[in-house]
Amino acid sequence: MKAVTTSVQQQTRKLKRERNFWRTAIRNKYLYMMSLPFIIWVFVFSYYPLWGWTMAFQKYKPAKSFGEQDWVGFDQFKTLFQDDTFYLVMRNTLAMSFMGIIAGFAVPIIFAVLLNEVRSMAFKRFAQTISYLPHFVSWVVVAGIVTKMLSADHGTVNEILMWLGLIDQPIQFLAHGHYFWGIITISDVWKEMGWNTIIYLAAIAGISQEMYEAARVDGANRIKQIWHITLPGIRSTIVILLIMSIGHLIQIGFEKQFLLGNNLVRDYSQVLDLYALEYGLQLSRYSFGTAVNIFNSVVSIILLFTANGLFKKITKESIM
Amino acid sequence: MNQISKWSSLALSTTLVAGLLAGCGSNNNNEDNAASPDTSSNTGTESAAPEDTSPLTLTYYSEDPSPNWANMQDEIGKNLTEKTGITLDAEFAVGDAVQKSSLIAASGEYPDLISAKQSIAKFVDAGAVLDLTDLIDKYAPNLKKLFEGNMSRLRYSDDDHAIYVIPSYNGIGQEYFNAGGGFELQHRVVKELGYPQIRTVADYEKAIKDYLALHPKDENGNPNIGLTLNADDWHMYISVTNPAFLATGGSDDGEFNINVDTQEVTYHFRRPEEKEYFKWLNHMNAEGLLDPESFVQKYDQYKAKIASGRVLGLIDQDWDYGDGEKALKAEGKFEYGYGHYPVTMSEDIKEASFWPTGFMAGSGVAISVDNPDPVRTIKFLDYLASDEGQVLMNWGIEGKHYNVVDGKRVIPQEVNDRKINDATNFTKETGIGLYNLLSGHYGDGVKDPSGNYYTTNFPEQIEAGFNDVEKEVLKAYNSTTWKDLFPKEEEFKIKPWGAAWNIPVPGDSEAVVIEKKLTDITWKRIPEVILAKPADFDKIWDAYQQELVKADVEKAESIREDLVKARVKLWNE
Repeated sequence: MKAVTTSVQQQTRKLKRERNFWRTAIRNKYLYMMSLPFIIWVFVFSYYPLWGWTMAFQKYKPAKSFGEQDWVGFDQFKTLFQDDTFYLVMRNTLAMSFMGIIAGFAVPIIFAVLLNEVRSMAFKRFAQTISYLPHFVSWVVVAGIVTKMLSADHGTVNEILMWLGLIDQPIQFLAHGHYFWGIITISDVWKEMGWNTIIYLAAIAGISQEMYEAARVDGANRIKQIWHITLPGIRSTIVILLIMSIGHLIQIGFEKQFLLGNNLVRDYSQVLDLYALEYGLQLSRYSFGTAVNIFNSVVSIILLFTANGLFKKITKESIM
Repeated sequence: MNQISKWSSLALSTTLVAGLLAGCGSNNNNEDNAASPDTSSNTGTESAAPEDTSPLTLTYYSEDPSPNWANMQDEIGKNLTEKTGITLDAEFAVGDAVQKSSLIAASGEYPDLISAKQSIAKFVDAGAVLDLTDLIDKYAPNLKKLFEGNMSRLRYSDDDHAIYVIPSYNGIGQEYFNAGGGFELQHRVVKELGYPQIRTVADYEKAIKDYLALHPKDENGNPNIGLTLNADDWHMYISVTNPAFLATGGSDDGEFNINVDTQEVTYHFRRPEEKEYFKWLNHMNAEGLLDPESFVQKYDQYKAKIASGRVLGLIDQDWDYGDGEKALKAEGKFEYGYGHYPVTMSEDIKEASFWPTGFMAGSGVAISVDNPDPVRTIKFLDYLASDEGQVLMNWGIEGKHYNVVDGKRVIPQEVNDRKINDATNFTKETGIGLYNLLSGHYGDGVKDPSGNYYTTNFPEQIEAGFNDVEKEVLKAYNSTTWKDLFPKEEEFKIKPWGAAWNIPVPGDSEAVVIEKKLTDITWKRIPEVILAKPADFDKIWDAYQQELVKADVEKAESIREDLVKARVKLWNE
């Protein structure tokens, strides 16, 4: 009897909530209508393509209708997990991703804090502009610059090292696999550092000046101010960006690796997206490519939720 | 970083959408398929009526880039549009052409004319191209005449005798008058050393070594480079791996070596002879004669290096390094240009660059099921294959680009000079050379009914094209062209299968993935063995061979062998 009443109560509550929803919806109909295009946009570009995931369970052939395709269950995934190359590729992807996250967070934050401490406005502006310009240069050009600089044939880096007497033979940086991850990380930092700094500078600008004044009155020196005011002030920005980039951990793209890699460093340069391209699309194995993509998305979702949950627990910051 | 991953996921989603569209699009294709025979029979009854030259724009996709394409606004293009009413809206693949073809094949929206070389298999699998057998029979007398005796070679496969492609890459009766491959040495090297014989890798190495000892630096103080290789992406085949079989007496069958008598197929890196070739390259590296950047440099760096004139030796094809050499010629540094030598491991091995294949059908133009008017399209292609059309494509317009003097076609001196020295602009303005891959045609060395050659490549013309330094070097070697140095076609037995790289592998064959794996292994291991310490060479080579076996190389060989045998049957029955 009691159970029935509670369920009835729940139902009425649910009904009421629904009625409330429709009432608010009608009241705010213009706002809802304004958001409609974006919902359609998201649906068309993010959800509708998910239908294509069915390909991963087929032996897909172009120009055959959906009904005519061969269904093969999890065969494509089995092939994927049985391939040695896949594990090598995962290792490279994760390694470069982690290195990228560590450097890609530490450097812009330090740079932003340092810029913030600069007194001369003119110099600050100058440094900021110069540092974010590389962001607008395409990877193709950056790869060209990096290759030239690291060249053993009058490359700048080798010339400097030789001049300093650190080495007596030019080093073929791009010919050694174990340098590759580092080169990728450093060139990525060089290209994106200034751009990523902007967001932290904006967050720092949002910190009230009164806090700094109060700290100064209490006798805090500049280091103490940074540690106790600036960094905690931008903590939520840092955490949110970190959660998002953990979600993208295995989706690191392939431009850098593709453009800077060569056959000698193949074991270190091949990444998941490149693998999906070479062993999927280029060989017309559309189903296999889709399977890699699904794997990619599933892992990303898991990572995203884990990171989000962890940070929610530890720092009480989260994006959901 | 966020930015990039967004783009990559967008790219992947686009692919998925494209795939979906392909699924939806198939119905339309079937309709078109059903519709085309109607159109052909309709026009068939009216064929007595004057030719339809109303404007018609056809889309055209080609897997080969054509950087000088002028949207048919060149002189030949205007002429063609005037004669046939057809304008081509062309798209040329840039970058990874095979991938581009895959995408188009998957999209379900096909260009009207498709020239996709080996990727045509993807279009055939997708049902995207028309069977041209009847169209050729009814509307294309010139094509029929052109391919007479070779019609069985046009058929797609042993299981599918349809004709999907009009072969346009290989000319009928093609003769080669000049060599563009082999091993290259700068003219200044052989000249300074008193024209030594360059026949074996030892001769080649000695020439480079001796010259470097005399001139370690160029006039600007930069070190001269002994030998550089071009290993950026697919150039790896041309400059690193193909020379391995050429220098050991094998002919070009892609990644395989095929016994001409038994048709036994071997992955060519497994031949013991080739181990010796790579050992020699390893030795070149150890001696410091090989450019240490060979496997790191990108294609543009390679070309820039050649254009600097510092590179003494190359192992490449002229079309691959030509841009660099052109820059040198434009500066008048003719002695920095390259000569071609038939270098092999030892003198008893014949360099097989000119091993004859017979007429090679396969790569060419196909008409898609989306084509609005297949009949007019085939007539257009037929016009290009006619005597008039071929002379127009190759020679240009009479009175403008050539004159007929005493029944002979002659290119006026000033036109020829522009053709050689201002090639890009000349091509853009006149269109000469832009239309040759559009339809079937005769090869170099074939004469038309008027007794003139169809193409402008014939011995006299080629000899006239050599610069003075080249002529001097050739004379010193008692030759008139580079080809004279190479073994002749007649010395080899014709390969009844053409060439293995020209045999399409079915898209769902296991061989596709195995061969991709093999290429990955080879492209990684070959640079490694070349750059290894000579003492480690054998160890790494053995590890490489074992890796190949582990990757199922034997299975790939047996699949290829079946394909080769099927091709021999198809072409020779």
